[in-house]
Amino acid sequence: MPKLVVKNLRKVFGTFEAVKDVSFQVEEKETLCLLGPSGCGKTTTLRIIAGLEVPTSGEVFVDGVLVNDVPPQKRQIGLVFQDYAIFPHLSVFENIAYGLRVRKMPEAQIKTKVHETAALIDVKSILDALGKKLGLSEMQRVAIGRSIALNPKLLLLDEPLSNIDAKARERMRAELGKLQKEIGIATVYVTHDQLEAMTLADRIAVMKNGLIEQIGTTSEIYDNARTLFVANFIGSPSMNLIDCELVYSEERAILKSGDFTLDITEFAETIKGKPKGKELVFGIRPENVSVDIEKTDPTAVEAEVQLVEPLGAKSIYHLKISGVTVLAKGHPMAEVNVGSKVWATFNKDKLHLFDKKTEEAIF
Amino acid sequence: MARTKGVAKNIVRYLLLIVVCVWTLAPVAWMVSLSFKGPTEWYAPNLMPAQPIVDNYINLFIPTNPIGGSHFFTSITEPITKPLINSLIAAGLGTLFAVLVGFLAAYGVSRYRAGGTFTIFFTLLTRMLPGATFVAPLMVFYSSIRFIDTYVGLILLYTAVTLTYAIWLMKGFIDEIPPEWEEAALLEGASPWTVLRKVTIPLTKGGLAASALFIFILNWSEFLFALVISVTQVTTLPVQISKYVSAVGRMYGTQASLGIIATIPSVALGYLIQKHLVTGFTFGRIR
Repeated sequence: MPKLVVKNLRKVFGTFEAVKDVSFQVEEKETLCLLGPSGCGKTTTLRIIAGLEVPTSGEVFVDGVLVNDVPPQKRQIGLVFQDYAIFPHLSVFENIAYGLRVRKMPEAQIKTKVHETAALIDVKSILDALGKKLGLSEMQRVAIGRSIALNPKLLLLDEPLSNIDAKARERMRAELGKLQKEIGIATVYVTHDQLEAMTLADRIAVMKNGLIEQIGTTSEIYDNARTLFVANFIGSPSMNLIDCELVYSEERAILKSGDFTLDITEFAETIKGKPKGKELVFGIRPENVSVDIEKTDPTAVEAEVQLVEPLGAKSIYHLKISGVTVLAKGHPMAEVNVGSKVWATFNKDKLHLFDKKTEEAIF
Repeated sequence: MARTKGVAKNIVRYLLLIVVCVWTLAPVAWMVSLSFKGPTEWYAPNLMPAQPIVDNYINLFIPTNPIGGSHFFTSITEPITKPLINSLIAAGLGTLFAVLVGFLAAYGVSRYRAGGTFTIFFTLLTRMLPGATFVAPLMVFYSSIRFIDTYVGLILLYTAVTLTYAIWLMKGFIDEIPPEWEEAALLEGASPWTVLRKVTIPLTKGGLAASALFIFILNWSEFLFALVISVTQVTTLPVQISKYVSAVGRMYGTQASLGIIATIPSVALGYLIQKHLVTGFTFGRIR
């Protein structure tokens, strides 16, 4: 039985429809990421699950039980807030013990439980520190500790890394991932950072304008984006998306964007029935465009390098191919500089084609 | 250069502080001086009493003891113990109720926008009229429900009049507390009342203390309503103070000594909660 089932959730604030129709489920020990830009309804969805917002319509089941009418204090759901919401006037010990005290657990048991939790989240040395004196990383851990001390049925995390600078975020993301594995509890994680989602989630639900665009495992989302939005949102640098039209010449199917052409005859079966000339967008991830100094592949096209961004192990090349700018990600090559002529090869197995009107994937 | 500039800045700053201190404390100093002077000195310009006496203070508690001639005599025959107790009851309970009701109202307005924007503005509107404008209808109303010269009447009136300040002041302090703290406590299993008791109140206590003191001082020094409502039973200190200067006689020294006594509770309270006042009057910013 799934740990959490969300069915046709809808939430309207005044005239603003924050969540339009959201359904998903989370299995035991699974981490589901709600990923999307700000204002897409992901935090509202999370708050409805926690019971902090009342849905306009739709249902939430925890452990198979409908919880729509259960107040938040009775739902047994842990929530880690964006700002952690550590009680500033209480010590770390009291923060973790808070829920246990509310439940009137005997003092000895509280002590054991807090120490157990503190060991797990590695805050044993700061148990006496006041909430307001903690650093961000400590707050994060205490917030998680406070949420899990009660053995909740579900753990919700609302952008827990968004207020942290890039360097610390990397470390805390790793820490969080490790902790998640140790705790092994069904989790819903809200973020706008696709990298966070990719590294921490088992499955990702990409949200936009109150709707789930696509839900699937990280590789499904990455490799088989079903909409233009998902293709664009996931991946860094993002996928090359080029407006084009489909033309047929001499029995060959060709994608055309100005002077740029790409032969896709091998996909003839898939695109059969799609009217030619329709407004299309083709997409390819930068790592699926290879850059060579010599023409090694017969399908390679000539390109001019406009910019090189060295990332250390990899470099990002901004290429101009017949008037179209394409980003490629590959090994650094000392001889490739701005203005160099190179050969670019598109890995057609990784090609995506979208309908520009409906924004849906054709393949 | 920078150093002399800093010194100059400090000099100006302290000069300003001195001016403000003299401005506020000079009347107090005069009141202290007057309270220790005998009738012959009441009109004299000297700050230090030539012959310091405590008769003024004694006279407050044993009013049958006249100081000087008939010119310095009033019709007061009661000691100030009763007005003192009356003031403590009326101002104290009035403050307590205003803070209690005001906190809950402010919480509702701050967290749930209870009553919409109009209601909260309307409460403020009631304070935009001078109190004197509704003294007459209040008198009529109060006499019809037999509230004149009763504690209930005075306490209810003090609660109602200061409730606006209580709501507005405390709303500000509650607004400062991010709702996430309360939500976190809710998710930990605490009931809304427990959240209020264990999270909201401890986090706003500085603001609550400042609001309470502010309201207490308002109530403690209130004169007009007390004068109108009291006859003999619920005379408060401000009303009592006014009685020492009447058509019959002018007992400035005794009046000053009662002024001193009346000042003590406010000053003492302010001193006790000084720490909270700093956070309170700077309006929160606890984060």
